[in-house]
Amino acid sequence: MSDARKPNETSTDEAQPGGSEGPGYTTPQAAIEESTPEKVAYVMGLYVGTDVDAPDFLGVVDVDPDSESYTEVIDRVEMPNRGDELHHFGWNACSSSCHVEGLERRHLVIPGQRSSRIHIVDTKDRRNPELTKVIEPEEVFEHDLSAPHTVHCIPDGNVLISMLGDRDGDLPGGFLALDEDFEVEGRWEPPGEIEMNYDYWYQPRHDVMVSSEWAAPKTYYPGFDLDDVEAGDYGRRIHVWNWEDRTVEQTIDLGEEGLIPLEVRFLHSPEATHGYVGAALSSNVFHFHDAGDEWRAERVIDVEAREHDGWEMPVPGLVTDLLVSMDDRYLFFSNWLHGDVRMYDISDPSNPRLADRIWAGGHFGDPAPVQDRELAGGPQMLQLSLDGERLYWTTSLFSSWDDQFYPEEAERGSVMLKADVDPRRGTMQLDEEFLVDFGELPAGPARAHEIRWPDGDCTSDVWR
Amino acid sequence: MSGGSVHETVLSWSAGRETVIGVRADESVLGAAERADLALPFGCRTGACATCTGRVVDGWIEHTRPPRALKDRHLAAGYVLLCIAEPRSDCRIEVGSDVRTELVSNPWK
Ligand code: FES
Repeated sequence: MSDARKPNETSTDEAQPGGSEGPGYTTPQAAIEESTPEKVAYVMGLYVGTDVDAPDFLGVVDVDPDSESYTEVIDRVEMPNRGDELHHFGWNACSSSCHVEGLERRHLVIPGQRSSRIHIVDTKDRRNPELTKVIEPEEVFEHDLSAPHTVHCIPDGNVLISMLGDRDGDLPGGFLALDEDFEVEGRWEPPGEIEMNYDYWYQPRHDVMVSSEWAAPKTYYPGFDLDDVEAGDYGRRIHVWNWEDRTVEQTIDLGEEGLIPLEVRFLHSPEATHGYVGAALSSNVFHFHDAGDEWRAERVIDVEAREHDGWEMPVPGLVTDLLVSMDDRYLFFSNWLHGDVRMYDISDPSNPRLADRIWAGGHFGDPAPVQDRELAGGPQMLQLSLDGERLYWTTSLFSSWDDQFYPEEAERGSVMLKADVDPRRGTMQLDEEFLVDFGELPAGPARAHEIRWPDGDCTSDVWR
Repeated sequence: MSGGSVHETVLSWSAGRETVIGVRADESVLGAAERADLALPFGCRTGACATCTGRVVDGWIEHTRPPRALKDRHLAAGYVLLCIAEPRSDCRIEVGSDVRTELVSNPWK
């Protein structure tokens, strides 16, 4: 039995949210009301693919303005191997397993996108987490899967990971299940339900999951090549699953306007059957929903490509990440190539209305340095505080793609930035006081990727 | 070490640094570099990701698995995947992270 279930132990420095045992909050509204402002952020830090002789790490960033080490990387949990490309990660338990007695939101499941190695980190001591277990790639390849991506806990205490390729880095991908002791349980779905895979989100009350498509690992790993797009090697479909049966019930082709659909987010309300997916290459956001007899997806936001001095072709925004605020009122997304973060009012989910946006870095943003620090990339992975008032982001996308579009990032490293959000007015403002510089770490400049909060966040918490 | 052949392999970095290592007939260039305590970039170690890309400027190597991360144009230009590349002669190989970045460029530029 894993140490995930020790109901009588309390966390060392902070109690569980709401002062009670358990992995989460009973409702999204409870998350907003009962949560306290985030004090630490867990952020992926990367050296993969560079000449820096160091492994990727889990960075602990101090985001408590009252702390002496505010905006510093106060701890780094180094992985045992180089070459992982830590990318996305998730919790052993979230609010969807709120009702499972004795479960704690305590272990981070951290896959290596390139290595297919899966790491388990215990965050009992929030400021000093510890690596406790490693699942080696061979164990993953045994199930004819590779390239682990999105990690969600699923309601019974198990963990599900989307896998983008087969053991050779080719198609099809699938899903890998871990049990509550973080042992590989095996493949979750009947193999061959899908070809391409990327992100997914489930809404258990409606017995539904929606998954998206990047490409075969062998296609996207080396870098982005338009020839692969022309050859049809990049995704443009989303899949609607029967959650209980683990089968695809409907596949929606988003067409040319939906090329490379990446992050999938349902609204947080467990009642909702509305969600969004961002199509990175065609730079659109689609709204999907249950129309009764079938699911539909409609393009609701279109980011126009822009001419860039000295570049041959109009440049797409590249919508790489998006998130929905905990109160389901706002949608935020990043245009990694252009350099803006946008905020849309989605009170009417099928008609998002642009509320505000911020330019920071990117190829079009006024590349004003923050605190004299030149920004070597554009806004990428986003995370929002549970109360919806602080939006944070990092700038690295994927090491080989960074090298193509922001080559200076390898030398300068990433930054983590923050905006103050006013949810009542629907406005955002860049916080010039906040800068976490991943360029200044002992082993050398690092890339920074996904961000998570210890008490759950807007891009991973699901309710049942 | 058995009496099998060991190929003298010169690794050269873009910054001008050079090192010679011996690569046994049954090991990859990446494996031999690790045995010699030299850090070369890598990721998947299965020939899918190109993170370990090198470029053979002299000599003959063979891939022990299909080099899925490389396209025909890359293979024709001498690029190899060091995680699955075994020398069949003495070699001279450009290594380091810059070699991978030569494989693809910014398509909008
Ligand atoms: S390490 Fe991935 S191709 Fe060699």
